Amino acid sequence: MSTASEAQLRNFLESITTRLQRGEAVDPLLEPANEEQSNMEDIVELIQSLHASLTPMNPSQEYAENLRANLLDGRPGVAGRVRQMPARLSVAAILALFAGCLLLMLRRLFGSETATDVPEEAVATPL
Amino acid sequence: MKNPFSRRIDYAELDDGQLVALAKEDKSAFGELYERYLPKIYRYVYYRTGNVHDAEDLTAKVFFRALSHIGNYVEKGVPFQAWLYRIAHNLVANWHRDQGRRKIIALDEYVAHPLKSEAPDRLTEEQEERNQLMEAVRRLPEDRQQLLLLKFVEQMSNAEIGAIMGRTEGAIKSLYHRTLLALREEMVAIQKGDLKQWSDGKEG
Repeated sequence: MSTASEAQLRNFLESITTRLQRGEAVDPLLEPANEEQSNMEDIVELIQSLHASLTPMNPSQEYAENLRANLLDGRPGVAGRVRQMPARLSVAAILALFAGCLLLMLRRLFGSETATDVPEEAVATPL
Repeated sequence: MKNPFSRRIDYAELDDGQLVALAKEDKSAFGELYERYLPKIYRYVYYRTGNVHDAEDLTAKVFFRALSHIGNYVEKGVPFQAWLYRIAHNLVANWHRDQGRRKIIALDEYVAHPLKSEAPDRLTEEQEERNQLMEAVRRLPEDRQQLLLLKFVEQMSNAEIGAIMGRTEGAIKSLYHRTLLALREEMVAIQKGDLKQWSDGKEG
């Protein structure tokens, strides 16, 4: 492949990529200008696949906020603090949190049932 | 030390150079830089590590390192963005060295979303093609992976990529061409491997 035609191919591939990124049709460029370009069909498909697969995605809002707080205020958020712990400790912290919530729920549930189950005479105040 | 005029400053209106100058003493200015570059750095690290957990850990390290070194940062032809990417690149390289592994990119979590309305068979086929493509990308040398991520995920120009990778615009154009040719060969090798596995399974 001569240097001139190699440069031409580079420009061709650049144009295809740029058009895809701008959301423009690439068909007008696919009319092969020479034999080397017509051998580039699979490369063009590859560019299209890369364009479709390598899509932007963002970090979660919670992560972004925690990291910001951690960086700027020097105070990690709850998730940040749990994450900074050793693995075993963070599992223990999550379990403890879960157990605490469960306990609160059970207390509320049984606490209210106990209150309603109390016999009337026990509630009555002796004169 | 907090900038006494920080309340009057509209950080969003400042360019990176101005923010960097302020950020040496004012954390709010660094906060604006963080907002500008967090998504970019996160995406870059995510695609290079292949999982959310390591992407989050390494992204945090990038910004902590940037914050602790910003006092020494001097813009000598390397824009702040390029400086951040270089920190990220070095941390990811260390991560790969420490881990001694290349993890599978979790394409199913993010890339399949636009395809969910399609028929299941077509979805599986597309997913398989994407997995093969990502496997081929992961087999490329680090600089080529970086080029593809900056070009496709961040949609940067060759000049911007050149500034980050420390190469000329022409060198990036040439590297892109070579990367695509190498990627095509990797795809063929992967597809041949799959075909061999399939025929071996049939014989066995």
